[in-house]
Amino acid sequence: MSVGWLARRCLLVGYTLLVVSLLVFGITQILPADAAVTLLGENATPAALAAVRLRLGLDDPVWLQYWHWLAMLLRGEFGTSMRTGQPVGPMMFVALSRSLLVAVLSIVLMLIVAVPLGIMAALRRGRASDLLAGLVSYLGVSLPEFVTATLLLLLLADRLQWLPATGYVPFAEAPLDSLRHLVLPVITVSLVMVAHVSRMVRSEMVDVLGSDYIRAARLKGLTARTVLFRHALRNALLPVITIVALDVGYLLGGIIVVEEIFAIPGIGRQLIVAIEARDLPAIQAGALIMAGTYAVANFLADIAYARLDKRIRYD
Amino acid sequence: MTELFRRLQRTPQGALSVAILLLLAFACILGPAIAPQDPEHIDFLGRFRPPGVLDWLGADQLGRDVLSRLLVGARTTIPLALAATLLGTLTGAVVGTLSAYLGGRWDEAIMRTIDAVMAVPGLLLALLIAAALGKSSGNAMLAVAIAFAPGMARVTRSVALTVRRQDYVSAAIARGERGHWIVLREMLPNVIAPVVIETTIRVAFAVMVFATLSFLGLGAQPPASEWGLMVAEARPFLHQAPWMLIAPGAAIALTAIGFNLLGDGLRDALNPRDER
Amino acid sequence: MNALSRRWLLTVATGLATGLPPLAGLAAAAGPAIGTPRRGGVLRISVDQAASVINPLLTRVNPEYLVTELLYSGLTRLTPEMVAEPDLAASWSANEALTEWRFVLRKGLTFHDGSPCTARDVAATFAAILDPRTASPGRTNVGPIDTIEALDDTTALFRLKAPFADLPVALAYTNARIIPAAIATGDLTRLSREAIGTGPFKLVSYEPDQRIVVARNPAYYDPARPHLDRIEVMVYPDPTAQASALLAGDTDLMANTTPSEFPRLTGAKGVVSLRIPSGQFLNVNMGCDQMPFSDVRVRQALALTVDRTAMVGFVAQGYGTPGNDTPLSPAYHFYKDMPLKKPDIATAKKLLAEAGYPAGLDLTMIASSTPSTRTQLAVAIREMAKPAGLRITVQTMPHATYLAQVWKKGSFYVGFYNMQATADAIFSLLYTSDAAWNETRWDNKDFDKLIDTARVTTDEAGRRVLYEQAQTMMHQQVPSVIPVFFDLLAAQRSWVQGYTLHPRGSVFRLDEVWLGADAPKRG
Repeated sequence: MSVGWLARRCLLVGYTLLVVSLLVFGITQILPADAAVTLLGENATPAALAAVRLRLGLDDPVWLQYWHWLAMLLRGEFGTSMRTGQPVGPMMFVALSRSLLVAVLSIVLMLIVAVPLGIMAALRRGRASDLLAGLVSYLGVSLPEFVTATLLLLLLADRLQWLPATGYVPFAEAPLDSLRHLVLPVITVSLVMVAHVSRMVRSEMVDVLGSDYIRAARLKGLTARTVLFRHALRNALLPVITIVALDVGYLLGGIIVVEEIFAIPGIGRQLIVAIEARDLPAIQAGALIMAGTYAVANFLADIAYARLDKRIRYD
Repeated sequence: MTELFRRLQRTPQGALSVAILLLLAFACILGPAIAPQDPEHIDFLGRFRPPGVLDWLGADQLGRDVLSRLLVGARTTIPLALAATLLGTLTGAVVGTLSAYLGGRWDEAIMRTIDAVMAVPGLLLALLIAAALGKSSGNAMLAVAIAFAPGMARVTRSVALTVRRQDYVSAAIARGERGHWIVLREMLPNVIAPVVIETTIRVAFAVMVFATLSFLGLGAQPPASEWGLMVAEARPFLHQAPWMLIAPGAAIALTAIGFNLLGDGLRDALNPRDER
Repeated sequence: MNALSRRWLLTVATGLATGLPPLAGLAAAAGPAIGTPRRGGVLRISVDQAASVINPLLTRVNPEYLVTELLYSGLTRLTPEMVAEPDLAASWSANEALTEWRFVLRKGLTFHDGSPCTARDVAATFAAILDPRTASPGRTNVGPIDTIEALDDTTALFRLKAPFADLPVALAYTNARIIPAAIATGDLTRLSREAIGTGPFKLVSYEPDQRIVVARNPAYYDPARPHLDRIEVMVYPDPTAQASALLAGDTDLMANTTPSEFPRLTGAKGVVSLRIPSGQFLNVNMGCDQMPFSDVRVRQALALTVDRTAMVGFVAQGYGTPGNDTPLSPAYHFYKDMPLKKPDIATAKKLLAEAGYPAGLDLTMIASSTPSTRTQLAVAIREMAKPAGLRITVQTMPHATYLAQVWKKGSFYVGFYNMQATADAIFSLLYTSDAAWNETRWDNKDFDKLIDTARVTTDEAGRRVLYEQAQTMMHQQVPSVIPVFFDLLAAQRSWVQGYTLHPRGSVFRLDEVWLGADAPKRG
């Protein structure tokens, strides 16, 4: 992992953010709503509209507006929400922290379930447990989050009354209650990833177990357990890092839906609210922060991968 | 083609997927004809009627028959998801092949840009585009297509690059075979197979993303009986009428499972060498 | 000075508006107020959407009204019977012609920052509300004010453009809350983050999408109120979560709830569900200035396709009252009871044929996606109108797009309105030819004349006659189809005392609420 490689990766993250900023700005420009009308609602008078347009620079040429926005971003500001009149940046980062709690818990749950499931399926290839694991993963990739979430809600919250239906309790206020509220969202989000990752682990395990390397280890007389845990697992799990990083994309998408259904005031919900209210600064900030999170997650995954796998050359 | 179909039928996934997809195709084509009731007919006394003799899958908050809405809704859900995938694949394939063909710096620039676009989660991109274009089924389809294009570009590019370097192509050239024979016999199936498999699996995604957009209010609009929209409309009545929600949810899952199975079945049928 | 004004003066002099027989003929669904109020405690009230705006001049939705009502005061305020009672103004009087009104403030009023609140602040506040550049929703709702003048520290003189008997009620409007003159004439944007009012509570913390906390204002003009030490306004955008929080005891009071949650709350132990008929309605606006709705027969035909009793079920899940194409529900004082219009497809077809549409009509009805009942109404009307040959395509759109492109401009769309304080307020907001929001462009000089006359008529019986004629006229001419009025629904824990669900929907009067001895202690 040379300095040059790191610098190149950082540059790529920067380029990614630039492209995303252009994309997001472009999309918000064609959103079918007049930002000034959005801001003033039912009571917009022509005089008030003109004043707002001037204040927001809405009559400037588009490239100039983009430039002003970019300059503001570089100063670390995201602008002022049209809906609340509050600065967007802090609002979105607070929301992001709540979403990250859901995301991290989901990844943890996913790893706890998916890795053993994948290994088991690989070791018992073709048997009932393998088929069962396959079925689970099929359901996982075939059920959209909003269906999983509403079905879980129906079963565990409405019929069985085991868990609170929706809502969010800040972790600092009542940790236990907060976690109880997060159970359903976390299960929902992790299900898709369990499907992906358990399949990945299974196929990697099958490969590794059949490789000369493991056969050699077995011939050396090492126990099955040692072979499995010391050698096979390490090699099989390496690619999992990559797929988890890639799955952060699904994760963030899934979080939008899950936050909407379970009324969690995270960044996904903020984005939906912003899109509905045509709150352009909030949409821009939210989308950019989400994409940034994804880019950084991939960057970190790359570094982790490089550190763990000395065999790969980076130039 | 018939050979492929026979091979597909021989795997359990393949056979199951063909059965599911035939059922769905049947609903798409004959749905309105076989629907037991007018899917838009409201019935004051039939509001929230549980599944039974009158409404096999129950009735919704306006007394409309859920089964009829489901059958008619197949048309507004599946063909659009298919169209979105094909459009996305086509766009992606053109960009991907172009990138591979141009090579060098152009390839690098295009691919880095595509990577950057893919940093925006697919669902978010589709949401933003659907919001920008305006709420409607057609626009949601376009949004899904655009959101899919970068991923397909990546797949086609890597396939195009590997195929060019494949040994069997060189071998064919070394054997002295003629140009079009190489393309037809050796390259084309190898290019098409991965793209077809990827496309099939993506139809499943398209169905889900499309339904999700409708669920979030950015796709199909009332009184359409698009399945995602049906789930969204059923949500406030979760306690009193769960059937309103289970039926369309199951339909979406069945469709996605069907296409996922078909993708896997095709992979096995097209790559008999892969023993996994 | 005429009879009614004198009575108002009397009211004000005793300072006991509630001592009068209620003007609005409805019983308010009140939480039981037993014994004397206990002082202290923290109340948690939940609302269904963010209070994004706390500048009182610019608030637009009920949670925002709730918060600004805690932080600011107006000259007058509305009792649950829809009568104006003194708030900052201790008394008021008008000239014979009802064109000049004097409001006398209480002595020693102060803002939260300690500065005195005088008639100059009142004048500056109303000047800001009436300035089009402020874009205050109150601009068209506070009455026909021409100028406001501070005669001395405590007397404000309102000169009107036209005689207006309802001014004290109009001044209780949700946006007419007094702010310091320095801010009203200077930087209004300051109030988007802080609150400098004269209200019973002071702002402690403000997270618009989460929680807003206010604490007792020790300098409030009435030493007896508020009873509570602190109020926490909790935002629950999801109705199920909001109801669950009340059931779990996490919150004490819900400002509102939905028909789907109401049965669950009604059955729960320790919970009192609150329900009150209101004048909140959904309507179908028709552009009366263009084909085909310029022909009254087309409008009448559409009105005759609607099954109003069924609509209460479809749209309000039964929690409502059928409407009769006038904006006055039984909850209004001057409501006229007329036979409910029944669906009559044959007559509707006949009217359409006479209007020149024997083959029916193809129409596109637009419904904003917020609240979702708009779409429900559109879809149900579409089906009800089908047999008469009215083929309606429903088009939904986001609320922001609807406001920009359709509202007041479209010729066929679904509208949604809160109950107003008076008959005059709702008629002149929506249906007179010079109405601020004349969505239907209905231009009926006879109707205008009725409303104008009623506005300056102070004799109760005479006013009733005029308003009844106005309702009959709307019932027959149908500028908009008004098929359903909603009941307001809410719920509270049994330990909450002194809360009354207000039919206006935007008035809460939480300064009168107190907690029983069995209420949970909150930090």
